[in-house]
Amino acid sequence: MTERALEDLRVIDISQGIAGPYATKLLADAGADVLKVEPPGGDYTRRRGPFPGGVPDAEASGLYLHLNTSKRAITLDVSVAAGHDILRRLLARADVLVTSDKTSTLASWRLTFEDLRGEFPELVFAQVSPFGATGPYADYDGNSLTAMAMSTIMYGTGDPDREPLVTGGEPAEYIAGVHLWIGILAALENRALRGGGDHVDVSMSEAAAAADEYNAAMYAFQGAVRRRYYSRHIFGYPNDIMPVADGYVVVIAGANSWPSPLAPDTVSMMALLFEDPELDKNPAFASTAERIINWRNFDALVQPYLAAHSAQEIVMTAQALRLPFAFVPDAARLLADEHLAARRFFETVAQPGVGAISVPGAPFKMTETPLYAGPAPARGSANEEVFVRELACSPADLAALSEEGVV
Amino acid sequence: MTADLAGLPLEGVRIIDLAQVFAGPACTRILADLGADVIRFESPNRLDVTRNLILTDNDGMDHPWHRASYFVVRNINKREVMLDLAKDAAREVLRKLVAGADVVVESFTPRVMANFGLDYEALRQIKPDLIMCSLSGYGQDGPMRDFGAYGMGLEPASGISSITGYAGGPPLRSGLSFTDPYSGFVGVGAILTALAYRRRTGKGQYIDLSEQEAAIPIMGAALMQYQMTGRAPERMGDRSDHAAPQGCYRCAGDDRWAVISCESDAEFERMARAIGHPGWPDDPRFATPPARRQHHDELDAMITAWTSQRDHYDVMRTLQAAHVKAAPVLDGKEILLDEQFRVRHHFDIVDQPLLGKRPVQRHLAAKFGRFEAAARRPAPLLGEHNEEVLREIGYSQGEIEKLKEDGVIADRPNLPVPPAVVAAALKLPYDRYLDPGLLQAIEPDYREQLGLSE
Repeated sequence: MTERALEDLRVIDISQGIAGPYATKLLADAGADVLKVEPPGGDYTRRRGPFPGGVPDAEASGLYLHLNTSKRAITLDVSVAAGHDILRRLLARADVLVTSDKTSTLASWRLTFEDLRGEFPELVFAQVSPFGATGPYADYDGNSLTAMAMSTIMYGTGDPDREPLVTGGEPAEYIAGVHLWIGILAALENRALRGGGDHVDVSMSEAAAAADEYNAAMYAFQGAVRRRYYSRHIFGYPNDIMPVADGYVVVIAGANSWPSPLAPDTVSMMALLFEDPELDKNPAFASTAERIINWRNFDALVQPYLAAHSAQEIVMTAQALRLPFAFVPDAARLLADEHLAARRFFETVAQPGVGAISVPGAPFKMTETPLYAGPAPARGSANEEVFVRELACSPADLAALSEEGVV
Repeated sequence: MTADLAGLPLEGVRIIDLAQVFAGPACTRILADLGADVIRFESPNRLDVTRNLILTDNDGMDHPWHRASYFVVRNINKREVMLDLAKDAAREVLRKLVAGADVVVESFTPRVMANFGLDYEALRQIKPDLIMCSLSGYGQDGPMRDFGAYGMGLEPASGISSITGYAGGPPLRSGLSFTDPYSGFVGVGAILTALAYRRRTGKGQYIDLSEQEAAIPIMGAALMQYQMTGRAPERMGDRSDHAAPQGCYRCAGDDRWAVISCESDAEFERMARAIGHPGWPDDPRFATPPARRQHHDELDAMITAWTSQRDHYDVMRTLQAAHVKAAPVLDGKEILLDEQFRVRHHFDIVDQPLLGKRPVQRHLAAKFGRFEAAARRPAPLLGEHNEEVLREIGYSQGEIEKLKEDGVIADRPNLPVPPAVVAAALKLPYDRYLDPGLLQAIEPDYREQLGLSE
């Protein structure tokens, strides 16, 4: 067994949903002891699915299983006094507390950073919320959709005469989760250097916005305001998904692939791909501005070739010409992809009650301390281990807490 | 801005930054914001592509590479050495720097570092506990390792475009290639994980980060759905399989929109009351989530009747006051003026040489109580820190002059044509972009509107 990068790290995770759990998954898959503290009803992603055969089952929600690999889980109602006391006992032996609640909610539970810092001066208190812990929107509700709306990415996605489109897969949750993960690791570095915990405050809308600075930079440096135009970039066309005989490819020329005035006698790589050197003499093909503004003329020139060839043929030919074309796979194709298989990207997890499932593997490969995903926990599956063995509650106390609905 | 590094978590960490373009520089920008001494490299024969993007006031003048806003945004807080790595003496400089460094970040296509004799195996001979992170499109091995890769292709390659698009329409990529910065963010966490391990054990390691793979976890629910039900999810515009109603609704004004998402019956009831339809939850068409999904078009038309009479910010304020998820869809100007982003200092005001004061976006969206991951210094000019850095590793003034003479270090690009010709070629025909609608406005008084006029 290889070494684990974070095997000395202890995390108490009261977050639910995607962002917080994804951050702690990245810690748990690297060896941290992540104890997931769920309300007695369970993390709400247990109710979201997808479920095997479409049948709801709190132990088989695909989203939950994806986000909670390698963790232990207990149930505990931290909003009542008995649960609150147990949480404090858990924090006494933890490095990090992770929450996805707004400050107003945490205040009602007496679990804000300010409430805890006196008793736990070394604790890294990591909070992800829709708009951040401070400012006029601190108490607003949100999700990936509201964050993408604020980010400027959504305004530029979609057709000019239709509504802006949100990106699929709830990306703002994942972006915020990654920023939370970075924030936790940075605060731990600081603690290692100087001692002392900290408050890490991640806003989901700021995290999504951090993934786009074209739009703000265009105004801040040029006074130009973009408008949504088929999701296109302003630097050139095409850099876009186009239909082919059996699906779609991304048509991207990259650098030095169009006709160049510096090399008038050379056939451009793009003209070679489309099997027609005469294209280089046609402004609808050769001029950047013409392609952007009169893109329908450009499309008409290349559509016959695209419609006559498969995605596989087009992408492989383009790549052989050093043109960075790409495939447009869906979930099914990703799972069957030969390149990802050769890199052993997907990991098979033996999930109790569900069987073998493929989960996305480590988002980066490390030579000494590779991340890997263990099964996700059943609801309350670590209750006895944690309450009785680690916190020395008597089995009778545990039964009483369970009776009261605290556990 | 201050040059004060005291109190930042990566104080004392030196990073050699051989990354170019988008993902890598986003990664090292955050490491620099956290206090690392990031020394980036550029070649006089091939400038970073972003030195050509979004030139200030769309005018490169006779120094376009110093007017590129995108480069500024990504490279705040770093130092820069301009080296011609094709020359032996340049690679010698780099090896000396690596000997005193903690981390190397690079984003060349696989093979390039090995061709330079600068792959991890070679570099760890110089610095045994070195951490090195390679960011690439498709990773360092596998049949697609040599694929050329741009961000515009990598978001689709990760599968995300297959679930982005209007219902019944083709797959679409986002208006911004967000997997580029996203993979850079993932690289930051990977490097911090490796630093934590090195602190405990003294061991370095190599990190292979594929941008395609880094983004695939965003497909987690879709991948599970396919395995559990045999069906890959379909494109459904702004709707959701767990929230109804959910959508993007037209508001008053030109192309203004707001999103609304009701994730429970209770939230739907609060929305119905807030927009003057308290009877909706009792209407059998809207009483349950499946019913609301079935009658989503009708519901959307009635919600639009309310939103279209209101400013998109009013829609947010009214609905949020009722505890309903809602937000305006912001454009590039509005985000700079938004109260929440402003109060939380999402944009630092940076005094950039030759360009003056500009708001520059934070890259790390985490606030800390004890320090700020903010802009402390502007982005570097070409080769701005050549002499400073070489002196730090023991080069004498005489040796530095010799390296200059030999073209090993430089502070200008080697160009086949005069800079003004380059600038002219990079000027975008913005006046022609207004009519088809690629741009909504060009506002010459933008600096005054941003409160930055001098």
